[in-house]
Amino acid sequence: MPEATAGVIAIGWWELALATVFVVVSGALSLAMGLGLGKDLVVATIRTYVQLFALGFVLRWVFENQTGPIVLALLLVMVLAAARVVLKRAPSAPRGLFGNAALAMALTGFTVTFAVTALIVRVPVWYQAQYVLPIGGMVIGNSMTGIALAIERLFADLDARSGEMLTLTALGATTWEAAHPSIKTALTAGLVPTINSMAAVGVVFIPGMMTGQILAGADPLEATKYQIVVMLMISAATAIGAIVAVLLMYRHRFTAEGVYLEQGLRGGAS
Amino acid sequence: MTTLLEARGLTADRPGDEGPVRVLDSVDLALESGTLTELVGPSGAGKTTLLLALARLLPDARGSLALDGVPAEEIDIPAWRMRVALLPQRPTMFAGTVAENLRVPWRLGVRSAESPPDDTALREALDRAGLSGVALERGATRLSVGQAARVALLRVLLTRPRVLLLDEPDASLDDASAEQVRRFTAEFVSGGGAAVRVSHARSDDAADRRVRLTGGRLEEVGRA
Repeated sequence: MPEATAGVIAIGWWELALATVFVVVSGALSLAMGLGLGKDLVVATIRTYVQLFALGFVLRWVFENQTGPIVLALLLVMVLAAARVVLKRAPSAPRGLFGNAALAMALTGFTVTFAVTALIVRVPVWYQAQYVLPIGGMVIGNSMTGIALAIERLFADLDARSGEMLTLTALGATTWEAAHPSIKTALTAGLVPTINSMAAVGVVFIPGMMTGQILAGADPLEATKYQIVVMLMISAATAIGAIVAVLLMYRHRFTAEGVYLEQGLRGGAS
Repeated sequence: MTTLLEARGLTADRPGDEGPVRVLDSVDLALESGTLTELVGPSGAGKTTLLLALARLLPDARGSLALDGVPAEEIDIPAWRMRVALLPQRPTMFAGTVAENLRVPWRLGVRSAESPPDDTALREALDRAGLSGVALERGATRLSVGQAARVALLRVLLTRPRVLLLDEPDASLDDASAEQVRRFTAEFVSGGGAAVRVSHARSDDAADRRVRLTGGRLEEVGRA
């Protein structure tokens, strides 16, 4: 029988196992319709259990042993993992940009996270893991998507405009002047999903954090305030991260003389 | 006649399927004021590459360049490109009107100290190029290929370069448009400029000199 503790109805082990039946339903549908997704569903379900329990144990340990260096180290791990994902999702980007991606993620991740926890939530201890880690996770995870979109669009658009950039460069344009339209396109691509999501939130869907807080027994208005802070911080984080990443990276396709390295000039190295 | 642009030992490689391919092999070329040089050669011989190298738009090109006797190292790149103008083979029209396209060079920082040509000057230039039917306010992306090619050439000529590098400027033009381009080139040259023109389909009788690029080597094949 589930039991209520501190406003949360705890889920028992058997009930958790019962939730797995939902995957069996998906698996049966996949089988019936010949979708061939059975194996993927099994692997994804196992990963969900393993990854989230690992996270739960890590967070529990951190909450019990929290110190400034431990919390900072965990944020750094998130930043580095996000930088890797960003470049994986941007196949048009040249190689060797991990440092730039990590710098952009770190700048936005640390700045926005600590601005929110210190100035808005006003946590009593700056490294209080219960606030810093979930907020940091949301900042890094959500801005990562926008940054990846911006970078992919940047390099795809630069290639699509290589003829236009040759004309501009031949007329004396700097790399900034030649690349500027692509930079604008890239930043728009990176920021639009966040803006759209801000416009739809609360009408089309109840966001995850607010749902979680309500389920955890919080007053819906308090949950609303937190959610607004979260949405605004995500938009700021995406904007800062995308701008930093794009400004750091666009020059990598230009030579020191301001010549755009179009595909024919890149040889084996992309 | 004075030498405006001089290249010595220009050498460049391009990435190929089986490693780097040498497209320019110690090319020497001197462009004199008041002359039109026609550059010919088979497809893929490196004619465009040579023009890019002369405009200092080719990465990793080796050799020496000088403009008016001043070594390239002593002229910063934007200043070089203001005086040595390259017209790429495919004319680029930017979003906006014909007038805005003709004024693109003055939107760049390198020409921020200069005043852009006014509407009267632009109208006159279009009329002389046989584009009297093209309004300054027309959207540039609505121009035909031949009209766009002439607008792109005008855009370069309005910047008053010393050296003009034309990469097959009449590649997709009808005879009448090609004739306009030839006339413009001749006017530029008679005004004391030096021009190089890559030719593939049509030959230019007005050329003072004809050079051929084959196997990375440049040889003179005719002089008027």
